[in-house]
Order: sequence, then structure tokens, then C-alpha cells
Amino acid sequence: MTLEWVHPGLLLILGAWLLPFLKGRVKHVAMLILPAAALIDCLLMKPGTYGVTSVLGQDLVFGRVDRLSLVFSYVFSLMAFLGMIYALHVDDDSQHVAALTYAGSALGVTFAGDFLSLYLFWELMAISAALLVLLRHEPSAVAAGFRYLLVHVFGGLILLGGIVLHWSQTGSLAFGDMGASSGGMAWTMILVAFLLNAAVPPLGAWLPDAYPEATVTGAVFMTAFTTKSAVYVLIRGYAGTELLVWLGAAMAVYGVVYAVLENDARRLLAYHIISQVGYMVCGVGIGTALATNGATAHAFAHILYKALLFMGAGAVLQTTGLRKLSEMGGLYKTMPVTLGLYMIGAFAISAVPLFSGFVSKSMVISAAGEVHRPVIFLMLTLASAGTFLHTGLKLPYYMFFGKDSGQRGQEPPRNMLVAMGLAAVACVLIGVFPGLLYQRLPNPVDFVPYTLQHVTSTLGMLGFTALGFFLLLKHLDPEPTISLDTDWFYRRGSAGLVTLVRGPLARLEFGFVGEIYEFVIRRPVLGVANLLRNFDSLVVDTAIVGVGRSTQTLSQVLKTMVSGNAQHYGLIMAAGILSLLALAIFIR
Amino acid sequence: MNFLQRHLEDPGRFARIRRWFYAGLAVVAVAEIVLPRIYPGGESHFSFEDFPAWGSLYGLVSCVAIIVVSKLIGKLWLMRREDYYDS
Repeated sequence: MTLEWVHPGLLLILGAWLLPFLKGRVKHVAMLILPAAALIDCLLMKPGTYGVTSVLGQDLVFGRVDRLSLVFSYVFSLMAFLGMIYALHVDDDSQHVAALTYAGSALGVTFAGDFLSLYLFWELMAISAALLVLLRHEPSAVAAGFRYLLVHVFGGLILLGGIVLHWSQTGSLAFGDMGASSGGMAWTMILVAFLLNAAVPPLGAWLPDAYPEATVTGAVFMTAFTTKSAVYVLIRGYAGTELLVWLGAAMAVYGVVYAVLENDARRLLAYHIISQVGYMVCGVGIGTALATNGATAHAFAHILYKALLFMGAGAVLQTTGLRKLSEMGGLYKTMPVTLGLYMIGAFAISAVPLFSGFVSKSMVISAAGEVHRPVIFLMLTLASAGTFLHTGLKLPYYMFFGKDSGQRGQEPPRNMLVAMGLAAVACVLIGVFPGLLYQRLPNPVDFVPYTLQHVTSTLGMLGFTALGFFLLLKHLDPEPTISLDTDWFYRRGSAGLVTLVRGPLARLEFGFVGEIYEFVIRRPVLGVANLLRNFDSLVVDTAIVGVGRSTQTLSQVLKTMVSGNAQHYGLIMAAGILSLLALAIFIR
Repeated sequence: MNFLQRHLEDPGRFARIRRWFYAGLAVVAVAEIVLPRIYPGGESHFSFEDFPAWGSLYGLVSCVAIIVVSKLIGKLWLMRREDYYDS
């Protein structure tokens, strides 16, 4: 690491460990200075290659700084800053350390120029994010946290396998466009790992499973980093992959369908993360300059408005303890500021003109139009209506208006409102002055979001979606249910596996395999052993016992000779000499 | 009593808000039909985008389709009791 370049990720990861040693106001200042310093660090950075370290004859590049990594680093560090403001009142150092480590690892992934350092930060990200779930301490959260960890360890292993394979095939660890090895095993494994983190179905069920179980403040961090760093690596390595076009469009619709059924406020928002990331994945798949710009811009805007939405739902959860829409209602009376700020986020995600989603989402949809993909275009536009339907209408309606539940929350602590306010300002700023974002995108932008046709058709679409909502309102009442997703396979499917093991497999084992074992192995082995034992007792034993017996008999004989009487010894010696003489005489 | 309460809890004012909402919808739909004729040259990628009030129509259709289809899939297949995973 050279002095002219400080890794903003390491700044957060190492700096986080200062917090447990600080107290009171100093700690609060440190919590804000760390991400602010990381943000300034990123803003001051010039494109280039920094932090090159040689390990095992390979160059590890910790600082690949170019336009693409820079724009992601801006929003990641800005998000870390907003998240820390939101979490300022939380008196739990482990949460703060985990959150900063998580944000720092996302920055590490962003600047990683090689697969090994990418993998290192990738795993650190999974562990620190799991901590943000586990630290809510409730049994359901602990279970969800461990499921999160297992899924991501699985993804990490696939990534590692892909990296090793890629390394052995190409001899290089450098991480760049993977198009050259398209379709190969290494290409596929790395893609699967990236798609898992981007929450692409069927690999994405971990997201709505874990995020609603995280701590109020932890969930805000989680919405930003894992999926968007996955979008970043997809842009870097897999731009223009046809499969991603369809996966992304399907994902955008899938999230919307599940959002209709969902009753848990934060889980509904989580399904909309999947839907929104679908636009980005689709943009990556289309792969034109406009499309990758769109994916990047949408990731940028999405991080800010989705954090704002999770902050709003988190504020309700924190002050009322409620998470289910079927139990909320009527909160607008006591939480009007939260409602107002939430609605700015809702307008931003719904791509209402003058809000950030409008200037970013339209890039992806226009890119689909530009390359003439009518089905993709229609799917993305439909998902767009669905987004407004749920995040902009259903959720605020049942949370803040609707049937008065009698629950009276109050506005959350001031720091939470400040964080929401700043995020809201960012959503409006980007929407009103899109140039602020466009000039930082990886490719040159000549896209104009505010055209007459675009604004009127968007307003028409949103307005009539609202009409449909109010007409069908009575069918939309949230129901106290949960919806099956692919996490079924490791939550209930695994129980089925246990039943399979206990029932048929056990019978197979004891019945069939056991019998075969009995006849093929156990009996012959016992038979041979029996033979050997008999041989042992009959032959070997007899021989040894015989030797023993003869030795004993001989000793008895010898004993009678050793009498201690000198006359006997003399007699025996004389007899011996006589016998020797007789021998000498006869043999000659 | 805050601003929202004053407007939502008084049936008279609420009815007025509703009338404004419908008026707004009408204005948007008409604008979508008329404006492209007054100011031509907007680029559309597909022919269906030139259908009169395309955005409004597609918005309404999408909204209804999403609700109906999702609820159908949910009722027939996906929705389970909340303690499904605990039992």
C-alpha cells in the first residue's frame, strides 16, 4: 500500500475497531468521521492502479480505480455514512463494527482488480452481513442469520472453485471481462456465485428470508451492499451475457408477484430489491453503453431510495414493534414526518418524474427499446407499475392509512430522521439534476430522461396504476400468511431429506445393504476367522504348549542332577569323562 | 390534528380529493393522446407505444394483471400459514 493511496475499505474495516474503545460523543463523532473519510478518500481518488502486492507469484491488485469502480465506491461510502447516522443511537458496538466491516468489504470488492482479493472481501462481506442478522438475537433472527451464512458460504465455495479453475486454465488471477472463457466451467461457476449474491431466482430466496430478520439499522446496510456489489462484478465480468437479459426481466416481475402476497413490511420491500436488481441485471445482459450506464445509475439511485424505504419501515418497527401490514394502520396521525420521507423514497423507486428512479430506471428500459427487445421492454414496464403499486401505494396505505389499528407510534429518534432526510434529499437531487449522476457514469451519456413523451406516458402509467389499486383495494388486504420461495428446499426440503433418510433409506440400509453386507462380508470374514482360530488353537497352540511341556520335563530331569552335593557332581563329572574317553576310543 | 388528518377524516374534503384525483387522471390521459400530436418527434422504439394513451392503458392493465395473477398463484400454490416453517 503506497502512501498516496489509502484503501477506503480498509479504513472502515480497521477503523471500526476503534469504536469499542471510545465513549459518548467522541464515539458518535468517530462513527461519522470513518465513513465520511472513506467518502472523501473515494472522491479524491484518481483513476489508476494502486495497492499492488505480490503473493505466490501473483499480483494482487487492491486498488483498481476507474470510472466504474469509482461511481460504485461513491455510493457505497455515502451509504455507509447515511447508515451510520441512522444507527447513531444504537448502543451495541458489535453492530457498528459489523456494519462498517460490511461496508468496507463492499468497497474492497469494488476496488479488487484480481480474483483473490475479490474473494477475500466477498467472504468478509458475507460474514459481517450475517452478523447484522444474528445480532437481533431473536430466535427467528438467529435461525435466519445461520441460513444466510450457509447460503453465502455455499456461494463463496462455488466462487472459489471457479476462481481456482479459471486460474489453472488461464494462469492469471486478473479479474476483468470473462467473455473469453464464455460457457466454460470456470465462467459458469463464477457467474453462479455472482448471481447468488445478486439474489437472482432461484438463488435469491436468502434475501427476503434474512433482511426482514436483521436489526432495524442493520437491514438498512444490508439493502445496499451485497446485491449491488454483485451487480458491479457482473458489469465488470459479464456485460452482454444474453442469459442475464432474461434472468433480469424475470426477476423484476418475480419480485413484484411476491410483493402482492407479502404481509411483512420489510419482506415486501426485500422482494422489491429483487425486482429492482432485476433491472440492473437485465441492463448488464443487454450490455450496450446505455444499458451498463443504466445498470450503474440504477444501482446508485436504488441504494439511496431503498435505504430510505427500509429506514421508514424500520422506524415503524422500532417505535411500534410491528412488522406485519395486517396489524398496522392509522400511523399517519402520529408519524407524519416518517410518512413524508418514506413517500419520497416510494416516489423514487416508482420512477415518478423529478425523483431519482425516473432518471435511472428509464435508461435501462430505453436500452431495451434501443436494441429492440419488445418482450423485455414490456416486462420491465409491467414491473415498474407493480413497483408503484406495492411500494408507493399498498405499503404506505396499509402501514400509515387504512383501517386504524389503534397503534400509536411516535416519530423515531432525531438521528434516524436526519438520515432519512439526507437520503430523501439525495433522491430528489438526482431526480431534478440527473447530470450530477450522469457525469460520473462509466460511459459517456447522451441520454435525456425528461422528454415530453416519456414524462406523459410515465405519469399516465403511474396514475392508472393508482386507479387500479383503488378499484381492487378490497382484494389487496394483507393476509397473515407467508409465501413459499426457493428457500423451501433448504428449510422444508431438508426436513423431507431427513424423513427420507429415516424411512426408506433406513429400511434400504437395514434390509438390503445390511443383508448384502451380512452375506458378502460378515459371514465369509467370520468363517475365515473361525478357520484361523481353529488352526491357531490346534496347531500353533499345540506346538507352543508342546515346546513348553518338553522344556518343563527337561528342567525336571536337570533339577534332579543339580542337588548341591559335591559327591554327586564328582560322580557325574567322572561319568562324563568316562563317556568322552569311550567316545574317543570307539570313534577312532 | 395534523394536515393529513384534517383532509382525510372529513368526508367532504376527502370526496374533493377523490374528484381531483379523477380529474388528474383524465388530464394525464388526454395529455398523452394530444401532446404527441402537437409536438411530434418523440422517439418511440415500438409501434405499440404510439397507441393513443399507451402509458395509461398499459399501467391499468399491468396493475390489474399483477394483482389478479399474483393472488391466483398465491392462493393456489404459494401462500401458507405463518407457522408453516415452525411446525
